[in-house]
Amino acid sequence: MRSPVLPLTWHLARSSGRRGLQSQLLAAGAAAVGAFVMLVMIAATSGAGIRADHTTWRTPDAVPAKRATAVQALATTYVRHEPVTVVSLARLPGRGTTPAPPGLSTFPGKGEVYVSPALAALLRELPANQLADRFPKVTSYGTIGAAGLASPDELVAVVGRASGDPAVSAAAEGSTPWFDEGQSARAEISGFSGTQKPLLTGLDKGMVLLGLVLLAMPVVVLSSAAGRLGAARREQRLAALRLAGATPRQILTMTAVEAAAVGVAGALTGALAYMALLPVLAEIPYGVGGWYTDQLWVGLPWCAAVVAGVTVLLTVSAVSMLRQVATAPLGVAQETNPRRTRWIRFALFAVALLYIWQSAGGGQLSSRQALVLLGLFYGTFWLFGPWVVDRLGRIVGRFARRPATLLAARRLSDDPRGAWRTVSGLVLAGFVAGFFSVSQLGSQLGSSDYGDQVAVVAPSAADARHAATEARTLLDRAGVTATVTTGGADDFDTLLGGNPGVIAHVVGGTERIDAAVTALTSVAAGTPPYTEDYATASDRVAIDRVSDVSTATLALSFALATASAGLTAAANVLDRRRVYGLLRLAGTPLRVLNRARVRETVLPLVVLAGGTTAMGVYGSYQLNKAADVTINTTGALQLAACVVVGALAMFAAIAGSRPLLRKVTDGPAPTAD
Amino acid sequence: MNTVLAGHGLVKKYGSTTALSGVDVEVGERDSLAIMGPSGSGKSTLLHTLAGIVRPDDGQVLLRGERIDKLGENRLSALRRKRFGFVFQFGQLLPELPAEENVALPLMLEDMPRGRAVERARRWFAPLGIDGLEKRRPGQLSGGQAQRVAIARALVVEPDVVFADEPTGALDQTTSTEVVRLLTSVTREQGAALVMVTHDADVAAHCDRILQVRDGQITHYTQYTAA
Repeated sequence: MRSPVLPLTWHLARSSGRRGLQSQLLAAGAAAVGAFVMLVMIAATSGAGIRADHTTWRTPDAVPAKRATAVQALATTYVRHEPVTVVSLARLPGRGTTPAPPGLSTFPGKGEVYVSPALAALLRELPANQLADRFPKVTSYGTIGAAGLASPDELVAVVGRASGDPAVSAAAEGSTPWFDEGQSARAEISGFSGTQKPLLTGLDKGMVLLGLVLLAMPVVVLSSAAGRLGAARREQRLAALRLAGATPRQILTMTAVEAAAVGVAGALTGALAYMALLPVLAEIPYGVGGWYTDQLWVGLPWCAAVVAGVTVLLTVSAVSMLRQVATAPLGVAQETNPRRTRWIRFALFAVALLYIWQSAGGGQLSSRQALVLLGLFYGTFWLFGPWVVDRLGRIVGRFARRPATLLAARRLSDDPRGAWRTVSGLVLAGFVAGFFSVSQLGSQLGSSDYGDQVAVVAPSAADARHAATEARTLLDRAGVTATVTTGGADDFDTLLGGNPGVIAHVVGGTERIDAAVTALTSVAAGTPPYTEDYATASDRVAIDRVSDVSTATLALSFALATASAGLTAAANVLDRRRVYGLLRLAGTPLRVLNRARVRETVLPLVVLAGGTTAMGVYGSYQLNKAADVTINTTGALQLAACVVVGALAMFAAIAGSRPLLRKVTDGPAPTAD
Repeated sequence: MNTVLAGHGLVKKYGSTTALSGVDVEVGERDSLAIMGPSGSGKSTLLHTLAGIVRPDDGQVLLRGERIDKLGENRLSALRRKRFGFVFQFGQLLPELPAEENVALPLMLEDMPRGRAVERARRWFAPLGIDGLEKRRPGQLSGGQAQRVAIARALVVEPDVVFADEPTGALDQTTSTEVVRLLTSVTREQGAALVMVTHDADVAAHCDRILQVRDGQITHYTQYTAA
């Protein structure tokens, strides 16, 4: 016999009226946002990996000298403080052919220069004495294709040279400063396969992955909030069905089917929005710049997995809300069971915290261990939150004097899980804020002492003296005012970092520095002239990536938390509209009901968000300690601003349902009776 | 009869439908008035109009001689809170508050300290036969017990008038009789007037007077006892 469940579910869903449709649309909207955010973060993670893979050809694996067919030298020069990756290639005479590097159709011949489209634009834009003169003079530049670039905004040049050219023969041979961090390299090669990821793209994937992990929980919260929308309406309807003889299994199936249909519709919409917005998303810069659209395409299996994941979350949330209807219909119909929490939640959290404390106390954690501990904290805090809300409600309830506070406190202890759901998004976002703000603190760079310096490394002190004379002439010819000195092996107060070489103290701003670098290019044999940008690149890349990811994660966390809070607040008003309406008819001022609603959120928010923010700061402090970076306090303002903005956004979201509260309590429906 | 509440020439229309068509009604101290009528007759609109929940299109509502139908929303709200009590069919109790706090709530809304408000609220439990249930939440009470708590909450502010809208609509016959007997007797003891909408003739029979309403007009008036 055909099951009546599906047709009945469809019929009930269709006949749920305008209010029912509103709930379903809101839930679908939340599912769409959740799926969209997850897909964007997954896309950024996999895209960052693809980008890094696109750059490994610049540091190909070396082969034994007798098998080598070419020499490749990697150098990094800076213009307008932006890195320009320069790959010099030279055929070895009498050897076999070398395949073309990615992005080029042939192996570059001597004197040929290929540039990325972004570098080509910059070459046209800047005077030759600031950039173009750093490269061999050519009548026209070739173009590096997308296959050889991490980003359309990347500045890359491939220069064909003779094998005896110092740019390849002397490059990176024992004269690289200690802070080079892989910005220069030299290898004898026979092809371009490599595994080493350059400095500029090597960190990207890991950082986005961290953001993805941190955002997972706010997405879960949002999906759960979506599953809860319309819960009261569904409870009443299904409790009636249960009383009419429907089996628990039928009840749960009906709920699951309805929630899954809403979830699939919403998550699919989110996935479609992600696909449609790919070109726009590709414009958002991260690391070396914007993206090629195909780098951000995660593929249909990932899309399907995210749609399925969000749908399952929403469905599980909706079904768990109705578990009591299925087992005890009268209980829910009459709301007899307060949803208490047990001590085991506190015990689990305490044990986890103790373990984290012990593990992190020494400050000797690897990044992977730190991430695992972060996940453990996150998970157990999710259990702990409702317990705190419950106890908070009981304590405040005992001492409350005003009706709004009493109502809020009783609500908290009556349904701590529901109250936790409302605030959990921001509470966990507070954790993210705390974590990232301190992470950034550790990466703060001090003020520059080397901003006016251009350094040229020389093989020896004698070479340095000779180079200094030449440098004075070249700088004078280029119209750059500078004081030129030489540095020795014990000179660590300049950009030379203990290497013999020349330091030019340039008078003027960025343009003069760029002109000096260009003018001194011919003086440098291996490593090109460099500036502070080169010396601080490693720290700067770390700062930029942390900053980019933290900004995006924080913004998305707060957006998700705000959406969750707004949805939950609206759902609460709709769920409780009868009692709110009757209280207002009996003369209870709207402001009292509204204050109670807001305090219901403020109380746990103040306690829990403060707590998690502190824990986030602590966790990040340990991470910084593990990475041996120092902490300063300038990020405290940023942290405070993040939490304040997040809290304000959340209150605004809750306040957004005040008109709904007014509407549903605005007197009896106009009927003739 | 010492008139507490009066409606004169009350008219209320919803679009083209006339819910009240020139109704005159009065209730006095210790007086109980039942309003009966079929669905759509206008009986609930009459109660809502007298209680200041709905504004009449025409006519006047007077509380102890003072016109209230022209008051602003805030003053009307305060009036309902301080001088009226309400008992509805179901669902007026806050599920998360224990019974005593539900009863104390109107007093707390009037700035009475919580301790005093709860203490005063507790006094109502014994007379209404719900002694010992003070700490229970609405969900842990039977329908009849919940209605007695609602009656306590309506009376705790010592109102001039108690309005009851189908107060026994969700109760069985025996419980209905008990609840309405309590409602009428306790209201009378407090010196308040009672205006009750019901569709149940047995329930209405506990009141001093019955108004039959049809198509927005009073069609029949019955007085059982001298007020």
